[in-house]
Amino acid sequence: MSPSRISLSFLFLLAIFTVQEAAISRISFPIAGFSLFLAVLIGMMALEDRTGAIALGFIGGLILDLSPTSNSPVGQWALVLTIVGYVIGTNRESIGDFTTRPGAFVLFVALATALTLLLSLILGALIGDQAGTLGRNVIVILGNTLWTFLFAPLFLPVLSLLRKSMLTSRERI
Amino acid sequence: MAGRGGNRSRLLLVILLVTSIFLITLDLRGVSLTSKSRSVTQSFLSPIQRGVSTVFSPVGNLFSNIRNFGTTKSKIDDLKRENAKLKAQVIFNEDTSGKLKKLRGALNLAGRAGYTVIAAQVIGKGSASTFSQTITLDAGAADGVKKDMTVIGSYGLVGVVKEVTASSAVVLLMSDPTFRIGVRVARSQSIGVVIGEGDGRFVLQLLDPAGDIKKGDVLLSLGSDGNRPFVPGVPVGRVTSVSDTSASLTQNARVQGFENLNSLGVVAIITKAAAKDPRNALVPTPEPTVTVYVTPKPVVDSATIAPTPTPSKKG
Repeated sequence: MSPSRISLSFLFLLAIFTVQEAAISRISFPIAGFSLFLAVLIGMMALEDRTGAIALGFIGGLILDLSPTSNSPVGQWALVLTIVGYVIGTNRESIGDFTTRPGAFVLFVALATALTLLLSLILGALIGDQAGTLGRNVIVILGNTLWTFLFAPLFLPVLSLLRKSMLTSRERI
Repeated sequence: MAGRGGNRSRLLLVILLVTSIFLITLDLRGVSLTSKSRSVTQSFLSPIQRGVSTVFSPVGNLFSNIRNFGTTKSKIDDLKRENAKLKAQVIFNEDTSGKLKKLRGALNLAGRAGYTVIAAQVIGKGSASTFSQTITLDAGAADGVKKDMTVIGSYGLVGVVKEVTASSAVVLLMSDPTFRIGVRVARSQSIGVVIGEGDGRFVLQLLDPAGDIKKGDVLLSLGSDGNRPFVPGVPVGRVTSVSDTSASLTQNARVQGFENLNSLGVVAIITKAAAKDPRNALVPTPEPTVTVYVTPKPVVDSATIAPTPTPSKKG
């Protein structure tokens, strides 16, 4: 992943983060909530190679850590998403290319969102965060996964197209 | 080639993991750099949130509004244009009148206790990706808001100011799992701690195992040293059930908050507590019920009715 792509991805994620904080967070979804930022980030990580996925995970995590509404210590999301990036990057080669299989891509992003939230909860518990009741956390994770699954088909194709247009001819090979 | 790529990604992974753990350690050790970075983000986001808020506020309740739409689907086609215009107007009016009602409620509550307050509009809700429960308000340090100030709504406690920038403030809602507040039972004066559970319900841990508590008891905030983060006397919630735990050191009870934290539009930030502790002045009184007693009217002759004595005016 070239430095210019990293900085472009950073700016793009920052824009999505702003949309998330200013608009999406205001919608009161019936079950839990939907994080466009997390879904887009995971979608981007799933399209990258291992190094790219790890770097994107860390960058996205740092942005999420800087969210003023976040209650967890700075660095927690960066740690979680770096690990998720590594897991995605390692398994990506065995799953194959997502750009040709939109159904699998949507399912993968939804499940990876659930994994991310679960990891964050586990890490939070390890460093002594109060995380509320088990029932509510299960609802938050399931609700988020469900909404990601429903909304992902709307933006994942756009993400694939955007990435394709950003690739240099050498990287495309 | 693949091996070299794998080594490179593993090295990157280790570096980034160590960086993350380093950041977490800094934050947990209370280095101000990390908390400052969050307020910088907030000052960047608040103007955008404010702008979006005015446009987006009716759309925010989209899902609940959808349920109320359209039992008269057949007529909609004929009245489509007019309906759309009226619908927009109605949503706008409902939004405005809802906000006014909430503002009046919050100011009434503050007025009864003698708190000095700043009214603020909710311009953002906590991020859905994090487990914390927060709201963002459109009042900040420039309006006199400081960290650790109590925030109330129309019926009681909402939360406490967690982060302040020049023009906005982030409030930690009382439903956040990390939220703790010292309370006293208005009826028996027993004291305890109310803990957020992530939704509208809370747990009360009474410090005295033999403390007097029963269903329906009203809980008021105990107040903090120097009135921050909590001023005394704010209604926190009502006990819904008391758990029978004779073996445990504390007595627990389930509590329902007074304020509906999912529909906050306008809230009040207490900038100065009352000169005198309001005690039980803010205990919500039940709606007065009108009881009409009907007594059979005796049938009497009008001539036998004695005239009602009226006080004569002097002078």
